[in-house]
Amino acid sequence: MPQYMLLLRDDRETVRGHASPEETQKIIQRYLDWGTKPFNLGGFALVENTGRVIRKNNDGITVTEGPFSESREVMGGYYMIQAANFEEAVELSLDNPHLDFGTMEIRDVVLNYDELMH
Amino acid sequence: MDGTSNPVLLEHLFRRQAGRIVSWLAGMLGPQHLQLAEDAMQEAMLRAAKTWPFQGVPEKPEAWLLRVAHNYAISMLRRSASFGDKSASLIAALEAGTQTVADVDIEQNLRDDELRMIFMCCHPELPQDARVALGLKLVCGFSVGEIARIYLAEEKTIAQRLVRAKRLVRGRNLPLLMPRRTELRQRLDSVLNVIYLMFSGGYAAHAGEELIRRDVCLEALRLGQLVAASSMAAPRMDALVALMALQAARLPARTDAAGELVLLEEQDRSLWDDELITLGFSYFDRSITGDEVSQWHVQAAIAATYASAQTSAMIDWPAVLKHYDQLVEMTASPVVALNRAVVVMKVHGAKASLLALAPLEKNSALRRSHLLHAVRGRVLAELGRDAEAEAAFSAALQCDCTQPEKRFLLKHLEMVRSGSSFSTSASSTASS
Repeated sequence: MPQYMLLLRDDRETVRGHASPEETQKIIQRYLDWGTKPFNLGGFALVENTGRVIRKNNDGITVTEGPFSESREVMGGYYMIQAANFEEAVELSLDNPHLDFGTMEIRDVVLNYDELMH
Repeated sequence: MDGTSNPVLLEHLFRRQAGRIVSWLAGMLGPQHLQLAEDAMQEAMLRAAKTWPFQGVPEKPEAWLLRVAHNYAISMLRRSASFGDKSASLIAALEAGTQTVADVDIEQNLRDDELRMIFMCCHPELPQDARVALGLKLVCGFSVGEIARIYLAEEKTIAQRLVRAKRLVRGRNLPLLMPRRTELRQRLDSVLNVIYLMFSGGYAAHAGEELIRRDVCLEALRLGQLVAASSMAAPRMDALVALMALQAARLPARTDAAGELVLLEEQDRSLWDDELITLGFSYFDRSITGDEVSQWHVQAAIAATYASAQTSAMIDWPAVLKHYDQLVEMTASPVVALNRAVVVMKVHGAKASLLALAPLEKNSALRRSHLLHAVRGRVLAELGRDAEAEAAFSAALQCDCTQPEKRFLLKHLEMVRSGSSFSTSASSTASS
């Protein structure tokens, strides 16, 4: 079955960081409940403040801290999900609690070359 | 995540753990550094919120949160210049404390830290409202926003109150220690007071916010049990726990489906929480084993009398009145005297009640409260003096009160206006 990557971007302005312990727990529980759905293959969180951007240009390779410094949104983590097709993948993601705290991007993962032959 | 189990966190785990983390870190850092302890706790919660959604709940979530907060506090001490030459000794203090995380006795250690924090928050040198706010924040893990919602106050007001309280803690060097024998009595009485103030803050009839109010009541009950189970225990602490449990048991019946207030005698007793009633009675039994009779004992006895009646009509009002007589002598509180006047009506009738109210009308604080006018209104209506009752209910409505109270008063005002007197209404059982 095709797999899709759900990229979660946190909006820094949202309440997640200002929530009380009780509210924080309730928020986490919503994610956990979503995470146990059978189509979820798992995922990982990304540490917010240790990003580096590596670029090569005429002067050689540069490493800068980022990319968080430039944007209001920062990538918080990702899930891999299984779905019959793109439409279903979108459908399955509509009740992800993250929509209250940022945006999500869904990308089709190339699992094998056959997919690209259609 | 394997997707087979549904990881459900223990209810209120974060709130409970917040208080423990702050108490534990502050125990090592000292009360001068409450802010660092709080920041570290906040950071641990935030990191959980950012990682647990993906990888799931760690095997020991409580220990995970403790460790993350601990490490964060150390890294803050290393990074921030604001701790100056103290940072090395503070780091050493924190590092000496790492063993406790792995310690089998950690439960006991954390409980002791929490107890010391309770006693510090309730220190008599802090203003009373600051003690309550500080306790709710540091020990019970409520946020400024939540505390503001509980007390219907502005967030800014609560935040300032907390800042001032923490400044006082630093300025007066209030210790994070169990009180010494010689001061135990006074310190414990303050703890009892603060816990009951927390409880009544949650118990008060505020509009909406049903959940958070219940949480405050149960937190106060938990703190009471914590102290009652410690070396600081005293029979009056058991009595306070009994009082809170028996009152909290009535919470589900205190408002009807529409959110309107329901008087004790008209409550559906099947909605009372049996577990809390059992808890209340067991603490009440414990409280009366010694010779001590405190105001908490008497108040618990009143709550126990209400709870042990099988129906409202079976409440032993003469026994309640006897307790109130005793309570009036012990506390000299005008609010207690007012409640006593209500009971006088049940036992000796409205005329006697009006006589009992008369001296209270001179009390300026009571005159500003809707309670006195509301009680007078009920008594006057009972006597058929509808015009005066109407005036009393109108006066009550002029005072500050919550929305459910306002609607309750309006309903009674309507009743006297339309001439349907109380003795013919549903509350007639109460006057028997």
